[in-house]
Amino acid sequence: MLEIQGLHKSFGGLQAVSDVGFSVQEGEIVGLIGPNGAGKTTVMNLVSGTFKADRGSIRFMGEEISGLPSNKICHRGICRTYQIPRPFYAMTALASVTVSVLNGGHRPNMSLFDASFEASYYLEFVGLFAKRDTLARDLNLYELRMLELARALATVPKLLLLDEAMAGLNPGEASRALDMIWSAQEQFGITILWIEHVMKVIMAAAQRIVVLQHGQKLVEGTPKEVINDERVIKAYLGGRHVVH
Amino acid sequence: MVKFELKRDRIIARWRDRKYEYIIEPRYWRNPWIGVLLLVLLPLAIFRYPAFLTMFTTANLLAAITIPLGLQMVGTARVNFGPQLYLGIGGYTAALLNLHLGWHPFLTFLATIVMCAAIALMLSPITWIAKGLYFSLITLILPLAFLDLTFIYGDLFRGEVGLVGMSPLLDLGRVTWNYVSYYYLSLALMLFYLLVADKIGRSRYGVTLAAINEDEDVARMMGVNVSRNKVFYYVFPSVLTGIVGWFIVHTFRTFAGVTYLPLDYMLKILIIILIGGRAYSYGAVWGAYFVAILEDVIRPLGPINYVVFPLVLIAAIVFLPRGEGIFGLYHKRHHRDYFPQLKVRRN
Repeated sequence: MLEIQGLHKSFGGLQAVSDVGFSVQEGEIVGLIGPNGAGKTTVMNLVSGTFKADRGSIRFMGEEISGLPSNKICHRGICRTYQIPRPFYAMTALASVTVSVLNGGHRPNMSLFDASFEASYYLEFVGLFAKRDTLARDLNLYELRMLELARALATVPKLLLLDEAMAGLNPGEASRALDMIWSAQEQFGITILWIEHVMKVIMAAAQRIVVLQHGQKLVEGTPKEVINDERVIKAYLGGRHVVH
Repeated sequence: MVKFELKRDRIIARWRDRKYEYIIEPRYWRNPWIGVLLLVLLPLAIFRYPAFLTMFTTANLLAAITIPLGLQMVGTARVNFGPQLYLGIGGYTAALLNLHLGWHPFLTFLATIVMCAAIALMLSPITWIAKGLYFSLITLILPLAFLDLTFIYGDLFRGEVGLVGMSPLLDLGRVTWNYVSYYYLSLALMLFYLLVADKIGRSRYGVTLAAINEDEDVARMMGVNVSRNKVFYYVFPSVLTGIVGWFIVHTFRTFAGVTYLPLDYMLKILIIILIGGRAYSYGAVWGAYFVAILEDVIRPLGPINYVVFPLVLIAAIVFLPRGEGIFGLYHKRHHRDYFPQLKVRRN
């Protein structure tokens, strides 16, 4: 579904991503992990069209999408959530999701009423229907994360990019959010590329993990393979924690 | 027989099987027809005083400039400090074609639309390139540069004196009737702009506009073609502003860049925006009437009136920081009503 090859991106003198390549198969949940500054969010920004890659190729459903603007990438079926939620603060939850319904998927000439009706469905799915008339600025962090999920789902994505969806959530909320992501995958048949720092969650959720360090791919494999890999332990905890 | 019933917060009128409810507190009088009716009946009270009619015609025109500006500010997510550029372009296009080529006002109207659209389209990439303060500074400079051109090419634009003697839109024979007719024409123009802005705001496009105004990167990620929207919402309101220039030319029959292009004129527009609520269409009407009346009241003060407007502007910035304006604060019914907050962004 998604094939990334030889991806390079630098900001001035800083090489943020260097020769990164991996693929995501349809229906998979792939975890993208690494220490802070490893280049995970940059990869996500490159895939979602926020940044343009210096070199390399990003192919989605057999089509080159590198260099396309975000809205065209969204129309091809890729949507994302943000590490720090970026809601439309002065808009209600319902209006925010309505924007996605009207502009995301292929729904020509849909009326505002129909779009709001469909947006209600996504809000109901993430458990925010009761807060549909609440301004985003009045929602708590968990609700903001759910709103971002609803907004992304409303664009009818084939591939969902989750950027640290569990950051700042307490264990109870994280567990509910994980259930929600699983049921979204099951109900909408989406594929997920997921950046996460909460190892317990990502190891339980992902079928495959890609580890980045210093902008380069370190390891790729199943969660079990990755968690036992010396290079990963060294990258996260330092050399003295590696058991030979 | 109509039966009236007084409840705690409303009056209920019953006629046959119908029921009409009127909430007593004026802030809930949301029906714009009340306002329209008042404006339509206004000349009946003041038709003997041409000065008042001119003042209210000016108010209508100020509102007709501010309403599209609000639409533009939300649609481009940028604060435009020089909408009067298109007022100048529209006005001079109409005036020059009418004076030198003898074009009928209808033809000058079409020419104004074409000219404003072409120039706005040419300048529209600044909505992509220039962000935050840079956009505001560029738009601030453009009308001033145009004003300089009117002095440099004084033979054509007649510099400080301006162009005079353009053909009128209507001539009813009597001066009073002409004043009344121009009031109604300006009111029709303003109400048409209000209707357009209101329809856009309440449609699917309005929701998309709000998203662009809130966070254009996120809106783009949700499939909104932000670049196309920005071009449209830069060009379309510019054309509407240009039409006001055309209207001024064919009603007042005089047009001088020195009146409309300097910063003083923009100051009035800014006050209207701050008083009426930033980018809030209905508030623009209240703001415009306030400014037009204030301008007439302080005129006898002489040179002091140059200080009054900047002071009012500073007071509005300090005391109305949330950007909802006096009208917005009073009129907002639900906390969930979308109220565009315009910010000068860094990104």
